Amino acid sequence: MSKEILTGNELTSGAAVYLSATGEWVEPLQSARLFSKEEVAERDAALAATKAGGRVISLEIEEVDEVNGQIVPKRLRERIRAAGPTAPLTLNGQAYDRQHLGEDGHVSI
Amino acid sequence: MYRYDEFDAAFVAGRTAQFADQVKRRLSGELTEDQFRPLRLMNGLYLQLHAYMLRVAVPYGTLSSRQMRKLAHIARVYDRGYGHFTTRQNIQYNWPKLKDIPIILDELASVEMHAIQTSGNCIRNVTTDQFAGAAADEIIDPRPVAEILRQWSSLHPEFSYLPRKFKIAITGAPQDRAAIRFHDIGLQAAVNGAGEIGWEVWVGGGLGRTPMIAKLINSFVPNEHLLAYLESIMRVYNRYGRRDNKYKARIKILVHEEGLETIKGQVEAEFAEVRGGVLTLPSEEVDRISAYFALPNFAAQTLTKIDVAYESIVDAAYGRWLDNNINAHAQPGYASVTVSLKPVGGAPGDATDTQMEVVADLAEKYSHDELRVTHEQNLVLPHVALADLRAVYDALVAVKLAEGNNNLITDMICCPGLDFCALANARSIPIAQEISKKFAEPARQKEIGELKIKISGCINACGHHHVGHIGILGVEKKGGELYQITLGGDATEHASVGKIIGPGFEAENVPGAIEKLVDFYIAQRTSEEETFIAAYRRLGEAPFKEALYGTA
Repeated sequence: MSKEILTGNELTSGAAVYLSATGEWVEPLQSARLFSKEEVAERDAALAATKAGGRVISLEIEEVDEVNGQIVPKRLRERIRAAGPTAPLTLNGQAYDRQHLGEDGHVSI
Repeated sequence: MYRYDEFDAAFVAGRTAQFADQVKRRLSGELTEDQFRPLRLMNGLYLQLHAYMLRVAVPYGTLSSRQMRKLAHIARVYDRGYGHFTTRQNIQYNWPKLKDIPIILDELASVEMHAIQTSGNCIRNVTTDQFAGAAADEIIDPRPVAEILRQWSSLHPEFSYLPRKFKIAITGAPQDRAAIRFHDIGLQAAVNGAGEIGWEVWVGGGLGRTPMIAKLINSFVPNEHLLAYLESIMRVYNRYGRRDNKYKARIKILVHEEGLETIKGQVEAEFAEVRGGVLTLPSEEVDRISAYFALPNFAAQTLTKIDVAYESIVDAAYGRWLDNNINAHAQPGYASVTVSLKPVGGAPGDATDTQMEVVADLAEKYSHDELRVTHEQNLVLPHVALADLRAVYDALVAVKLAEGNNNLITDMICCPGLDFCALANARSIPIAQEISKKFAEPARQKEIGELKIKISGCINACGHHHVGHIGILGVEKKGGELYQITLGGDATEHASVGKIIGPGFEAENVPGAIEKLVDFYIAQRTSEEETFIAAYRRLGEAPFKEALYGTA
């Protein structure tokens, strides 16, 4: 049975973030709070509160599966958002990697 | 190169300060995201999958070494040490932080650059032939007119809220290297019976979900009336272009639905009103701007010809580079050099900060301080003495920019795709990388000859797949990626839109599919001189389809 998570981008860094079980917006997908179909009201309340706060933007509800205890977004787009670009190394020889919170103080949440 | 006058400097400084204040108010919470989003887009700042993306305009693809060094500096200090050159002759940074954007824009303004009008429903950066002002086949250098168009269209109050974005391309050469027939307006230099130079005006071209080849709306507009004529087109589009449906809002749809003759009549009526008025270009102003683009003082060269065959025996890689990456120059003893941003297995169009700085140094030392960005996502050193080619090549080798693959199968256009882009449905870069690796062998590339592969990760067609000799379009199917293959597209003066040849392929099967098409072409061509696109036009779609899918 699929569930839902809330995701968006942190205002200052633009990094992909997820609403956690403790109500914070965090970087790891695996810390995301899972909403069941019965928790629509809670989900929508969290969405509305986040939108009002204005520190997480481009908010979306994403469907996910739980596979071997891991949260796996149904959409490829979301799997790439969570992990970063899939293309091999940059010309600098580094992995593309995703955007991280907490670098250089570029965080607003 | 053009230098900002006080008006340019003032509007860029004003806009930079204004946006810095808007960013500050957004960060403080004074502005909501709904209020801020249109403001950031007007300044070229998008939000993509992983981060913000800043698109910086490179006016008509022309850069000085000082500007390129600044782009490198921004990549190193505020981004991740690289930038991505695009089909709009712009550069995009994939990882900037919102807080840094005001200082990045300040840095850009210090070298007379900005990100204004790189997004939104306005007239975007005017693009042109990457060999403008250098090409041997050129009638006229289009850059003075491109600069005039930049000045006219920048913050034009009447055209800041068009039905949709608007792209103008201009070429001064009969060989179209700027894909002008796939722009909202395309301009091609023309000579009338009196020997005067003016402009063919093409209208209603475009790619995206509804690809259209532009139609010739006027075969000769004198230079002095060009602005008036273009303003007339813009007014007709602004008035009648659809605003009810963004997918039908481009001028190509208006021209298609209303018919060229109707649009032409409306444009002519408007033109009759404005012709001879304030938009008439004074010759002294044209001369003033043209002076910025005067040819450099070329020193006389004793070496006026390179023996490529000889050089190829001595050093095969250098020979390949000479064979493919050198374009004929109007000045004897000189050439334009294409610096490939398509290393085998790399992301097309990407350049590191170090690479940008090396190319800037080469431009300063060997190319009269000039650089170009091509719409095919490469760089160009436009004015290099033949005697300096080896030194330029050796310097490029040192930073892995010496791939001699210009116009060959590994010289692909490729959009950022689903690895970065919020609009994409499928990845593009890994497809380009796998194709590149499959055809990496230089002898194989030479055997195949000129072949343009263009890859888009969605129907918006930023990767120009419709005009690839072989086009690849990534689509979403049942939660996965599928790649449709089109054949027969052509972005040049022989413009054509490619056709989907059959069912799509899984990502891992795309390179093999390309190989089948290539092998069939080689088996069927009349000689090595018959290019892929020529063979396709001679043979038609059916045999290529059979080669790819087998007999039904």
